[in-house]
Amino acid sequence: MSRKALICGVSGQDGAYLAKALLDKGYEVTGTSRDAMASSFASLEKLGIRSAVRTLSMATNDFRSVLNALETSQATEVYNLAGQTSVGLSFEQPVETMDSIMGGVLSLLEAIRFTKRSIKFYNAGSSECFGDTGGTPADENAIFQPRSPYAVAKASSHWLVRNYRESYGLFACTGVLFNHESPLRPSRFVTQKIIRAAASIAAGQSEFLHLGNCEIQRDWGWAPDYVEAMWMMLQQSEPEDIVIATGRTVSLEYFVEQSFRFFGLDSKQHVKTDPSLLRPSEIMVGRADPRRAFEKLGWKASTDVDGVIARMCESAKESLAKGALRP
Amino acid sequence: MTVLKKALITGVTGQDGSYLAELLLEKGYEVHGLKRRASSFNTERVDHLYQDPHNPHQRFHLHYGDLTDSGNLIRLVQEIQPDEIYNLGAMSHVAVSFEQPEYAADADGIGTLRLLEAIRILGLSKKTRFYQASTSELYGLVQEIPQKETTPFYPRSPYAVAKLYAYWITVNYREAYGIYACNGILFNHESPRRGETFVTRKITRGIARIKEGLDDCLYLGNIDSLRDWGHSRDYVQMQWLMLQQDKPQDFVIATGRQIKVRAFVELTCKYAGIDIRWEGSGVDEKGVDTATGKVIVAVDPRYFRPTEVETLLGDPSKAKRELGWTPTTTVEELAKEMVENDLDNARREKLQREHGFKIVGAHE
Repeated sequence: MSRKALICGVSGQDGAYLAKALLDKGYEVTGTSRDAMASSFASLEKLGIRSAVRTLSMATNDFRSVLNALETSQATEVYNLAGQTSVGLSFEQPVETMDSIMGGVLSLLEAIRFTKRSIKFYNAGSSECFGDTGGTPADENAIFQPRSPYAVAKASSHWLVRNYRESYGLFACTGVLFNHESPLRPSRFVTQKIIRAAASIAAGQSEFLHLGNCEIQRDWGWAPDYVEAMWMMLQQSEPEDIVIATGRTVSLEYFVEQSFRFFGLDSKQHVKTDPSLLRPSEIMVGRADPRRAFEKLGWKASTDVDGVIARMCESAKESLAKGALRP
Repeated sequence: MTVLKKALITGVTGQDGSYLAELLLEKGYEVHGLKRRASSFNTERVDHLYQDPHNPHQRFHLHYGDLTDSGNLIRLVQEIQPDEIYNLGAMSHVAVSFEQPEYAADADGIGTLRLLEAIRILGLSKKTRFYQASTSELYGLVQEIPQKETTPFYPRSPYAVAKLYAYWITVNYREAYGIYACNGILFNHESPRRGETFVTRKITRGIARIKEGLDDCLYLGNIDSLRDWGHSRDYVQMQWLMLQQDKPQDFVIATGRQIKVRAFVELTCKYAGIDIRWEGSGVDEKGVDTATGKVIVAVDPRYFRPTEVETLLGDPSKAKRELGWTPTTTVEELAKEMVENDLDNARREKLQREHGFKIVGAHE
């Protein structure tokens, strides 16, 4: 009998890659979205797995719908990837951000407790919880200094998962993922915004790219690697919160230069700084120490930021050739 | 004529809210308080501050409000245009938060965000100062002893996690939007106005009732928990002080001394004139009245929390160094004041019973 998994938030980047990875491992996969009838599941389409995934409507703040999803899927592994995912948007919609992130985790934990079934629970944590790490790479023991409504909500849900693990003995853990990208990223995220802009400038469709702060530094990894780590975390004998990252941090400026170089462009001639894109409070440096992931899970990133840029650029180039590139 | 400063207190009907309202009225503030609508009266702690709305000099106002209602909060802040907001309103009971985790997150976590958003939306970021009632429960499984402003948090209950959200969102709105917003990280603080279900009050009330023959035995949870207990009246001074500085900062507010729950029981018995001795151990441990030989305190595992916080001890040296604040009430004086108040209540009830009145008290 095949194993059953429930992915909450299957329409996003990670949801789609995770669904693909689990299907490849022989899982029966159920995925949820707030309105499964209205959602296009474009990412699942792109990966060619739309029909292989059973989709359900579930609003994490609606307890009935959460129970229904657990019941219908009969999942023994639940991956919570749902919730508002943009740091920038969290300054505009702080309440919705908190509600969808922390409220969502809480409903799932309570519903799992309620079913009394032995369900393993993975929660999508975030490196944003660490805030500015400066020169010291953050590992599992680094303290949280969240600097956006998104990060504050993620920090709270991290503690909630830990609290339910310690209070009720649930198999529940959080993957503290640093930035992870792919061609499935929407343009709202800065990496995709840069690459699509470079592609469209190369094609003569536009001239400039407007960015906020280019001095910020991040650890960017390849999303398909990261969903593998999520699965690995639920195959352990004991639940544990683990940092997932490549271990290499570069500046946004580097990301921009390399992306433009791929298309034969000099970024200096096309990038303009726009103060209106600056965030009210910004993290300057995100640096990670992913040693625990290797020790405990045997997981290691297959590529770092250079590979991420190359693959995203290739994909943008293909879309451009097909006339399917939307800036 | 000098313009009065205006303050809005959420949770004005609670212990701290009532002491803070008294303090601000003394200082000449116009005080606005939020009360939740309930089918029974819930303003007992501030009834002595009531002022007739027909009085042209009325300085104490109560408004219906709820931390889970954004529109209500925005409208009230707009009408009042407060100089200072003290967010003391919350679902404040740790044990109950395990039963109602979502409500705790909504009222204590998002409630704080709703107030900060109200300040921002109304363009009051430069005018209105914001105090957030943070808690020593944030330290939970303590990472160092004693706990100070720089000690990492380790929340151990849905209440503490909701308060963690409130703490960081307060810091975030200070950093992102320059709002004068700060956290007072208060260790346990008690008084005769403490709610009857909190452990200190449960003890002083229980022992007083046993003393007057109204009850037989007091059931407690983990009596070896260590806590740093101060007096609420001292702590609201600090809440006000924190909003009067040049720049907003977070402070630990504590006494710097801790005792066990069992020691608080012993103090209470002493001031009630009962000599207590302990027998047995663990869940079978009993507190016996040496005069009568009766068991008056017993352990009931029902009151254990799914995850316990064993020890809390605050280091208030930053408050002393920077704001010149020190607590003036010792835990002995606190226990004495509380048990004397509860002995009064118990005697009143006893008298009523002796005169044939039927009394059905509240039970936990």
